[in-house]
Amino acid sequence: MINLKVVSPQKVIFEKEVEMAVLPGAEGDFAAMPNHSPFISSLRPGQMAIMSSNKVDESFFVSGGLVMLKEKVCEVLVDQIEPLSDVNSSNYQQSKTYQELEGNETALGTFEQVVNNPPYK
Amino acid sequence: MPNLKELKNRISSVKSTRKITSAMKMVAASKLRRAQELAESSRVYADSLSFILSSLAGNTKNSADLPEILTGRENSKISLLIINSSDRGLCGGFNSNLFRNAKKWISDQQGQGKSVKIMTVGKKASSFYKKTDLDIVASFEDLNSNDRQLQVSEEIKNKIMELFENNEIDEVSILFNKFVSAISQEPTYQSLIPLSNEETSEDESEANNAIFEFEPDKNELLEYLVPRNFLTQIYRSVLESSASEHAARMTSMDNATRNAGDMIDRLTLTYNRTRQAFITKELIEIISGAEAV
Repeated sequence: MINLKVVSPQKVIFEKEVEMAVLPGAEGDFAAMPNHSPFISSLRPGQMAIMSSNKVDESFFVSGGLVMLKEKVCEVLVDQIEPLSDVNSSNYQQSKTYQELEGNETALGTFEQVVNNPPYK
Repeated sequence: MPNLKELKNRISSVKSTRKITSAMKMVAASKLRRAQELAESSRVYADSLSFILSSLAGNTKNSADLPEILTGRENSKISLLIINSSDRGLCGGFNSNLFRNAKKWISDQQGQGKSVKIMTVGKKASSFYKKTDLDIVASFEDLNSNDRQLQVSEEIKNKIMELFENNEIDEVSILFNKFVSAISQEPTYQSLIPLSNEETSEDESEANNAIFEFEPDKNELLEYLVPRNFLTQIYRSVLESSASEHAARMTSMDNATRNAGDMIDRLTLTYNRTRQAFITKELIEIISGAEAV
């Protein structure tokens, strides 16, 4: 188990033990698991998926940020985050994240794509 | 001899003032709690970010490799000071302390041959510095909600990046009232450009020892990190300042409530004495009238 800590500039969003978390790194998706080598990367807009035994437990959209991976800790500093359980293709444009991202076409495009057809299901 | 009716009016007016100040005290106390919570919960992000930044910078042996915006320009001529004041008054020496401190800092800088530009946050600072002949590059007002605080921090960040790129400023410092405790706030400077290294030595050595892989490469990461770091530092100072403001208002309103109470006691005493003297005088008049008959 790895300790996944998701933090926004305002507050700690959540902190919990997970088996594996898949994150949209700047140069490709990667999975955070225990005993990963120390690693710092920036994030591109995309889906963050918390997984156990090859199934997605929880899924989020992140608009970008940073991740710091240590042996047993994975700290994700996000800009904006939206749980995908709360949004679907009809209401995602009303979400706070969507409004915050206004003007950022690439991020909005990815948001739409992740909502309609997440890479990890 | 004071007029009885006048005294009575005076007492009731002081009483209503006391009600107002004590209500303001309560409001400030509850806002303070909220502001403190915000300041604390934003600390996690700021700490992680500065850890990442120092491990990145620490990994780069040659400081010449680091961008100018981190290390600062060598012959800096123009400094920018961001002053974090409040939007509203009635908070004791909160703003005047800050301005007095800033004045000293500005003349220090000018003594070193640098010119100073000012950026103001809060209505009090903008109205104060409008009257001086300092160069105000931008003013931000109405920081009344958390979303607004974040938004203003973002705008300040964009502004200073733009000014730095255009060579209009060489150094940036931020002045705010640091929240020490509910009864004490302390004007504090923090340098943004060049970046101040005030992390604890323990933290730094840990950051330097851990061998991280970086993705994408360091320079690209720094490009992302530096503006993020500005934003976080500015946001933190805004939050600290707002916690300090509420704390300052709470103590000064507490004092005002107590003073009003003392004043009411004094006035009531005078009122009673006057009333008794009045009665005595009337009695004397009646008795001496009766004796004369």
